[in-house]
Amino acid sequence: MATIKKPDLSDPQLRAKLAKGMGHNYYGEPAWPNDLLYIFPVVILGTITLCVGLAVLDPAVVGEPANPFATPLEILPEWYLYPVFNILRLVPNKLLGVVLMASVPLGLILVPFIENVNKFQNPFRRPVATTVFLFGTLVTLYLGIGAVFPVSKALTLGLF
Amino acid sequence: MRTHPLESIKSRFLTAIALVTIILAGSLSMPRAAAAYPIFAQQAYENPREATGRIVCANCHLAQKPTEVEVPQSVLPDTVFEAVVKLPYDLKAQQVLGDGSKGPLNVGAVLMLPEGFKLAPEERMTEEQKEMAESLYIQPYSEDKQNILVVGPLPGEQYQEIAFPILSPDPKADKSLRFGKYPVHVGGNRGRGQVYPTGEKSNNTAYNASAAGTITSITKPEDGGYVVTIQKEDGSTVTDTIPAGPVLLVAEGETVADGAALTENPNVGGFGQVDTEIVLQDPNRIVGLLGFFALVILAQIFLVLKKKQVERVQAAEMEF
Repeated sequence: MATIKKPDLSDPQLRAKLAKGMGHNYYGEPAWPNDLLYIFPVVILGTITLCVGLAVLDPAVVGEPANPFATPLEILPEWYLYPVFNILRLVPNKLLGVVLMASVPLGLILVPFIENVNKFQNPFRRPVATTVFLFGTLVTLYLGIGAVFPVSKALTLGLF
Repeated sequence: MRTHPLESIKSRFLTAIALVTIILAGSLSMPRAAAAYPIFAQQAYENPREATGRIVCANCHLAQKPTEVEVPQSVLPDTVFEAVVKLPYDLKAQQVLGDGSKGPLNVGAVLMLPEGFKLAPEERMTEEQKEMAESLYIQPYSEDKQNILVVGPLPGEQYQEIAFPILSPDPKADKSLRFGKYPVHVGGNRGRGQVYPTGEKSNNTAYNASAAGTITSITKPEDGGYVVTIQKEDGSTVTDTIPAGPVLLVAEGETVADGAALTENPNVGGFGQVDTEIVLQDPNRIVGLLGFFALVILAQIFLVLKKKQVERVQAAEMEF
């Protein structure tokens, strides 16, 4: 049974804080030393153990030495670049492809400047932003999946 | 580099012996007399994998078909394990044989293991593996490439799954090897190839018109096939010889464009390659890891127990 400190409701200061949705660290189980000193190390040790176990049981592969004169049969960038890679190879014009790729970070940079048009944070209270976000996520996933197919199937995903 | 004349004669002699042995072994392992197969690659390429990662079988077996491989995630040193290559194809499919008649498909595979891995010696195989090995004739790619195994051609009905019994090396015995994870490359083929290593087309591929013009005659030589004569616009004629096998698509009097197909493509087979990885695992590392796990679990248990003890003190004093 963990030690629990009851909130002292006769304290006006605590009541004022609770009224504002704050002051929750004034009661309950103390962080020091119960959590910070005894339970954090348990979690840290567990994390280290998982990493060590993975490193021993499934070590990183020693690949072939890189050869700039031999292009591999299938070229694919790291997985997080799949969507833009697909854009680049689907667009017929290289300049257009570069512009489209550059527009991804540029578009993200604009977000902080225009997101305050709507003052609410709740996603359900900002339908336009939420729709744009969900649509963008879907398009990104779709383009990313298309990148692992040959160019002829990159748009249809081989489904049609 | 200067070599002693005797030395070079000796090495040539050895190469010749090796070649003869390979050819003899090849012809013995071929139940049906037909030209093909891993031997061609063994003669033409020192390493069956090109710098681009393409396995050289694809140079003659032009069509693509899926190939799968199953290897253990990790193996201990000096252990016999199995790598299974799967070559799925429609068993009802019939291919064109060398003489133009139809017949079942053959299969073959190449397995490129990391340095030091090799075919398991017979005395270490299980009974089942011995039986398999007797009918399979798995052989190393060459004298100095014992880690690359080739097999084939085999009748495809029985061998859609080919199990290679493999002996893992011991880095403690051979200091040039190290424990770790290594790539494994696998190529699997079913059916005959489309070109020979000399560049000639086989009769298992489509034939095209060598010039634009009108087909003036199609004759059938006695040994099968067709001779198609095409008259070009300037009056000169070219003949295209088509061996027995492919089905003709054109008729006399038709006009064809340059490169237009004269025959159907009879090929039903294809080649596929896959890459996978295998871990050569040190048993001492596993023991060490288990010991480390035990220590960590002990430490975690003691931390929780200590916390429980402190909680009892806190509950007694209740002032924090």
